[in-house]
Amino acid sequence: MYNLRLSTEQLEFRDTVRDFVVREVKPVALKSGRLEASERQLLTAILDQAAQMGLRTMALGEDSGGAAADLLTCCIVIEELATGDVDVAAVLAETVRLSRIIFVPSTGPAQQYLPLFVADDHCHLAFAGHGDTRLGANYHGRRAAPHATITGSPADNGDLILNGNAEGVRNAPIAKLFAVEAVTDRKREFLLVPADTPGLSVLAQASGLRGHGVVGSVAFADCRVRADQRLDGKLIDIAAEQGGPLDQALNLGIGRAAYEAALDYVPLRVQGGRRIVEHQAIGAKLAEIAVSLEVARAAVWQAAFAADHPEAIADRSLPDLPLAMMAKVFTSGAVYRAAKDAAELFGAMGVMRDMPLQKYVHDALICLHAANGNADDKLRIAEALAGYRRP
Amino acid sequence: MDFSLNEEQRAWQMKARKFALEEIRPVSLARDRIADPRETFDWELFKKGSRLGFRTLAVPKEWGGHGLDFVTQALVMAELAKGDSAISKAFSQCWKWSHLIAAVCTDEQKGRFLKPFLADDTFVLGKGITEPSGGSDNRLPPDDPKAGVKLRGERRGDEWILNGEKAFIANGNIGKLFFLDVRTDPRAPLREGVTLFLVPHDTPGFRVGKVFNKSGWRFYQNAEMIFENARVPHANVVGEVNGAYRKSSGDTSGGDIFGDLELAANALGVCDAACEQALALARTKMQGGKLLKEQQLVQLKINKMHMLTEALRSFVLRVACEHDQKMHSPNAGLAMNFSTDVIQEVTELNMDIHDSAGCMDEGADKLVRDAFIWSHLAGDSVQRMKVARRIIK
Repeated sequence: MYNLRLSTEQLEFRDTVRDFVVREVKPVALKSGRLEASERQLLTAILDQAAQMGLRTMALGEDSGGAAADLLTCCIVIEELATGDVDVAAVLAETVRLSRIIFVPSTGPAQQYLPLFVADDHCHLAFAGHGDTRLGANYHGRRAAPHATITGSPADNGDLILNGNAEGVRNAPIAKLFAVEAVTDRKREFLLVPADTPGLSVLAQASGLRGHGVVGSVAFADCRVRADQRLDGKLIDIAAEQGGPLDQALNLGIGRAAYEAALDYVPLRVQGGRRIVEHQAIGAKLAEIAVSLEVARAAVWQAAFAADHPEAIADRSLPDLPLAMMAKVFTSGAVYRAAKDAAELFGAMGVMRDMPLQKYVHDALICLHAANGNADDKLRIAEALAGYRRP
Repeated sequence: MDFSLNEEQRAWQMKARKFALEEIRPVSLARDRIADPRETFDWELFKKGSRLGFRTLAVPKEWGGHGLDFVTQALVMAELAKGDSAISKAFSQCWKWSHLIAAVCTDEQKGRFLKPFLADDTFVLGKGITEPSGGSDNRLPPDDPKAGVKLRGERRGDEWILNGEKAFIANGNIGKLFFLDVRTDPRAPLREGVTLFLVPHDTPGFRVGKVFNKSGWRFYQNAEMIFENARVPHANVVGEVNGAYRKSSGDTSGGDIFGDLELAANALGVCDAACEQALALARTKMQGGKLLKEQQLVQLKINKMHMLTEALRSFVLRVACEHDQKMHSPNAGLAMNFSTDVIQEVTELNMDIHDSAGCMDEGADKLVRDAFIWSHLAGDSVQRMKVARRIIK
């Protein structure tokens, strides 16, 4: 059976969030004064409203106060949010991503923090780990151990003393709980650390060129954490999953915002004696934008579905390939081109800072260069295709 | 074929290179960062450049200018743009319209306008074509009289009364003299109903509106020009009444021979800057114990950046050389279109190289933003179809 139908719940999620974006987000997000990348303030009231709608905790099980939303549903929500405001979407995408890893397993030491996470609409999550995960141009260099930016020294009672810092941490300035990766003399440890723990401090960083949402540096100075704050070892995927389907859903939202702006504009603008949509050159460009976004969405949704349904790979319904990386490579390039093409349709207005098109291009460029560079991903895909591992 | 430069060409190239390196480059990023678009222009820098001849170099020698050939102009634009694309454009915008004065104005008008232009280091030129209702309509005019220029001009005795506005006009807020496309016959199509005027900035009834806040080319000024019963003497009509689209092109081949070359040559300078940035990083940045330049993917990107840049250089200089030999063809337009593809790919590759090394770089980001301007100026579908139609006809 081949089924591309969304469930009733998924459609309800999409329609509810789409309506929220039209009614509440866009009127605020598209004010001309906040379209400049360097000066964007996070829309905290909108973020709180989204939390009150249950979007912050949607991935948690129903018995934990969530909606048991699978990754595909979360992607649908994040795409819709990103069509309205990419920064709000980015904060929620990171919290949702980490909540799936940290809290969705119904047992384990993290459960002690679940009531706090569920009860507080302002409780967002962040991951402070080793620095830049990308191999980038150094892919064929020696396989070095991750650079230890945070170290853990054993103390009494099995406690750890954390020292060091992490730069460019998404959500850091507003996070109330940090998943922390620390390197001890024996191994990498993952811990869950409340933001108000003595010895932990956060400094907000300008996110301009680095990423969406809010970004900060996290410093640990003799920060003591208990043994029961250790998370399971499988959380090693926390860093590797950055740039995955949720981030690409966000990217799709940027592309869609640019596309929808163009779609609204081309039937209105008259040049050459007719509406510009009636010109072959414009019609073809609009079609190309739509085609690229639809194909990208298919790739992102397939990757999310595969994560939700590993049995689909086991039974050979889906290929056993790094589908999330493939979706990222395609989507990040396609959305950037789509945003540029959409901006071109607006002529000079496409480059004006008080108009949204230049912002969409800038936002898409950040996605193209975020997390692991695409060149790195292509090489990792090659490893999977050819079945080898770099030395 | 002889690709060597003569002494004069080489001297101007070196002078521009020195000015870009010593004067433009040190202030480029700081000017780019200024948030208020009305504050990005640096008059002291501009005056220094003017004193070196970069404002007036296209004015014919018989009128007191340097009368440089197109090859030299292309070389100077590229060198200045390597320092900062928008600063280069601020100078070459003056050449564009001094070419037009030389080509289509009467001797009386040349005397009246070229002399003060030459004498004043702050005398900047501009031309108002685009309006809120029409950009593409003025580039590829349809026959519909309702399409295109709406700024209305009505004759009253020896004066014309202008009402309407222009948008996105280069140097609109800093210029001292503007060419202006004005609708003087509202019943005729654009090609037969528009007159070209010369309008000084202190014309009664003219004021500057909004200064546009662009994502790139921050130094270069674009403004709204508003005309409310502005009074312009009939002596400022350039060419024939209703003849703007017959005379204003500045040559007899129907193409804007300088404007197309200008964007292509400017793009070349930006590409040179991107190549320089990428090479500097690749030669010095260590990652995992190796220099970036040792990585295959970096090598491939550097190869492509240089391949495209050198192809653009060949095309730009060929077009400039053809202009000097009075061989006007669609090549200038093609070079302009091509420069859009090249400048955007080269600057994006530079950013890729920086990114793959974990170096999100303000300078690399600026080049990408500057290059994005080409999308609507030089590489949009109208600009490509305009050239295609010259080829096809």
